[in-house]
This record gives sequence, C-alpha cells and structure tokens, in this order.
Amino acid sequence: MLKVDVHVVEGVCRIVLNGELDVETVAQLQEAIRKVEEHTLEVDLSGISFVDSTGLKSLLDISNEWRQKGGQMLILRPQPEVAEVMRLVGLDRLLAQNTALAGEEREEQDDRSRHRE
Amino acid sequence: MRRCLECAKKEPDRRCVECRYFVQPSPLRRVPSPPVRVLLEDEHGKQYPAHILVLNPREFGLETEAPVPGRYIIRLQESLWVEVAGLPFKGKNNVHVFEILCVHRKQGTAPRLSNEEYHLLTGSAGELVEEISRHLPEHLQDLVREKLLAEVEKSELINALKVGKVMKYEAGRFRYLSGQADLDLPMEEAEKLMRQAIRQSEHRREVIVSADGQKVFDLHCVPFDHRSGGLLAFDITEVIEKERKMHQQEMQAYREAIAAVTGGRLYLVNGEEMEKVISEGTELARGEVRQTHNIPEARRVMREALPSLDSRRRHAIDLCLSEALTNALKHAGGGWWQARQLGDTVRIIVQDRGPGIKTSELARATLMQHYSTKNSLGCGFTLMLYYADHLYLNTGPSGTTLALDFTVVPEDGSKQDKANERG
Repeated sequence: MLKVDVHVVEGVCRIVLNGELDVETVAQLQEAIRKVEEHTLEVDLSGISFVDSTGLKSLLDISNEWRQKGGQMLILRPQPEVAEVMRLVGLDRLLAQNTALAGEEREEQDDRSRHRE
Repeated sequence: MRRCLECAKKEPDRRCVECRYFVQPSPLRRVPSPPVRVLLEDEHGKQYPAHILVLNPREFGLETEAPVPGRYIIRLQESLWVEVAGLPFKGKNNVHVFEILCVHRKQGTAPRLSNEEYHLLTGSAGELVEEISRHLPEHLQDLVREKLLAEVEKSELINALKVGKVMKYEAGRFRYLSGQADLDLPMEEAEKLMRQAIRQSEHRREVIVSADGQKVFDLHCVPFDHRSGGLLAFDITEVIEKERKMHQQEMQAYREAIAAVTGGRLYLVNGEEMEKVISEGTELARGEVRQTHNIPEARRVMREALPSLDSRRRHAIDLCLSEALTNALKHAGGGWWQARQLGDTVRIIVQDRGPGIKTSELARATLMQHYSTKNSLGCGFTLMLYYADHLYLNTGPSGTTLALDFTVVPEDGSKQDKANERG
C-alpha cells in the first residue's frame, strides 16, 4: 500500500509518500512523477515503513532522470531502517542533508502549498 | 587415339565421363559426386591438382593440367599411394585416363586398388568429407577437406583411438565403413536421427545415452541424397565423465571461495544438502508468488506468524523475503515460499523452477552490489547477505532454492543486534 501526495511550493515539487515503496507499489510513484515539471524534486520518505530494492531502483532512476534534465532530486527524512538500506546500496548520497540544498526551511510552507490531487 | 582426337574436334562439348570409350564400363565403374580432389606428383616432386571424375579399380579418369604422357604418384593416405601413368590417346583437352600401375601400401604392393581402398574413393568417408566441406565458405573448403580427409580417412587412427565408428546408411541399412567395429551403438536411435537428417537434408547431431545408461555417444548424421547418408559416432563416455568431475571440482572451488568471501554466511549446496536444509524444524507459514501483490501479502503472513519480533529483526525478514520473492518472480515467473522455525532460528525458504543462475554468473550475481542479469539495481543479494545470518543456495537448470536463516533475538535483549555489530 502506498499513498502519494504531490505539493508544489515556489517552483519546488515535493512528493510525500506514505506506506510501503516496493515492487508492488512502485508504479504509483512513477505515475505521479510523470506529471512533474519542476526542476527541483523532493521525495519525503518519513511515512515510508518499508522499501525494497525495486523501490530503491525507482528512486535512483528518478534521480538520474532529473539530473539529465539539469534538475535535482532529494530524499527527505527516511526512517532508520530505510536509511540503513539506502546506505547499504549507496543511495545515501541522494539524502537532503548530504547535499548543498537542504529542504528544511521550506517545510514550514507546506500548509500553504498547492495540492495537486 | 584417333577417336579421342576426332571427338575433340567434332564434339568439343561431349564429356569424357559419359563416354563408354573413356574409363571402361564395369560393375565397379563409379562417378564420384562431387569429384574427389587429389594431387599428382611427378618424379621431381612437382605437384598438379587433379579431380577424379570417374574411376574403376584399375583406372582413373582425371581432369588435370599435369602433362600427358607422364608418370605420377597420388598419395591417398600416409601409407597408401598409387602410381599412375597418363594415357594421351584416351581423353581430350585436360581430361585423360590414368592407368593404375601400382598400389603401394604398408602391407606391400598390388596392381590394383583393394575393395577398401576403392570404397575410400567412391563413397564412404571421402563422400562424407566432400559433403561436409561443400557447405563451407570457399576459402575454407580445401583446408577443411584436407584436414577431415586426414582425420576421417585414416581409419588406422580411428582404430587406434578406439572411439569412433564411420558407417554409411543406404536404403534403410547401415554399412560399416571404418573405425571401431565393435562399438555397440544404439542403432534404433541412430537410424531415427539419420532419417531426420535425410528428410530435412541437413546435418544432425545428437548425444545419446545407451539403454543401460553406461555409455554416451556423440552421433553425427550427414545426408548425401534422399536415401543415403553418413554416420559418424564417437564414444564420449569418458569425456563426459571427465567434464562432470571438472564441473564438480569447479563447484567445490566456488563453494569454498564464496563461503570465504562472505565470512561463512553463503553456502552453495547440492540438491541432497538442500533437501535437508528445507525439511529441518517446523513449519510456521507458507505461500506462493505469482504476481507482485503476493509479495506484500507474504510479508503480512510472516508478521502474523511471528507477532512478537523486534522491529529490526522484523525489517530484516520482511526485506529478505521480499527480495527473494522478487527474484523468483523476475527470473522464474513465480515460485513458492515457506518459513520454518528451528530453535531460535527462523528459516525462510524460496523456491522456483526457473533456468537457474549460471556458474559463471554466480559469483557476480551473489556478490557484486550493482550487478544484475535483468537490469535492476541488482542489490537484492547484497541486502540478503547483509541482513540474513546464513544463506543456502542451490541452483541449476531445473530451478533455484534459497534458504535464509535469521537468529531470533531473545525477549530479554541479551543478544546484541547483529546489524549494530556490523554497522
């Protein structure tokens, strides 16, 4: 089960995921991503309790796609188990705190964000 | 003499092969098709290529640029050569009758070819070699023909090796030509294969095990026309046995190497060992995977089967079960799983009937982080190796079985979490 919410604030697209990101649900994330036009993409994993290698692969693919377009994708707030899996396969480099662009300041603006769905 | 001279003028297109005056008609007269290639060698060692267009045991009708009259030697085999003399009054242009003066062989000399030698040229192995080499690219034909003739026609060599047998199939019967006469071939299968080859007019090859399972034969059938063909059979029992031993040794080396690099966590096991691994302990849960939604289902069933697990251990089992099931789904289109309890160990077993992991890919598929034969992140095995305490893998052309052991942390928490130790 996966819930995907898309918010756009000041040219930054934030995707908030809730549930499990795995081989069964990954298509939902890919579907939501297709409509995104913003150059900066943030994926909030705080509501994700489980992610498998297929889910990780889709995050990597999205990141590569955004980089090719000259944009950037960041991953925010993974739970400890998910963060550990990301570190094991070398995806921790996509985490927001490991990059120059931190998403913390914009979090407060979430309430005023435009809801897409 | 006059007849051939007149023929050259009057009927330049008439072919000598068809002329009754050329090589004497007799029951043994043969027109090899295609013509057999030979070399004429004169007394100074100068060589002329030639084609045997027609022959009987005393004469060859040769197409060659070699001067006529003249005496030449034709080497048919290492220890078999024929002395011939070209007859200028029999033939025209570059086609002439060459009389056989003497046949030299190891056992002595004779004025004519023996039956066996005659068959060598008119059918059998020579024909087989011609047939095989005809379909090759031109620049290779001569080379291959030469090599094959050297190999196949040397029945002495085949005899010495005691592995091969050459037979000709004609009108529903096999005739022994050369090689190991007492090689006990499965003739029924050989005939079936031969018929297939003739029907499809193409070379057929099959490896056949004898009825008692003791011998393995490599059979080659080459069709000549709509009713005949050649059979080459080799006893490859020892070769197979040797290969099997080498494969076992290779697997043993892999097992040791993989166990060593994984710190004794991943074991490649054989079918028998895996049977034991998957039957130990008592069953906790089981399920099937045919579609992706079966994977979160399996996680749910597992959580219900082990409700009091700590969260780190639960996550490890959830993740490994998912990865193993995803692999079964991706590479084999589905599979089965079960969980068993052995003391303080939970064992997850995932089986499929897919094509298996090739030995050559095993190390990469299991150990390299980003390797995958199906273009995924390929980190499934990396994750399983990290989170499971022990892994047992059995893989082959009839399927793959993977068993993963997790030590269940006792309630009092006295045993430190493994992930913490490694992290």
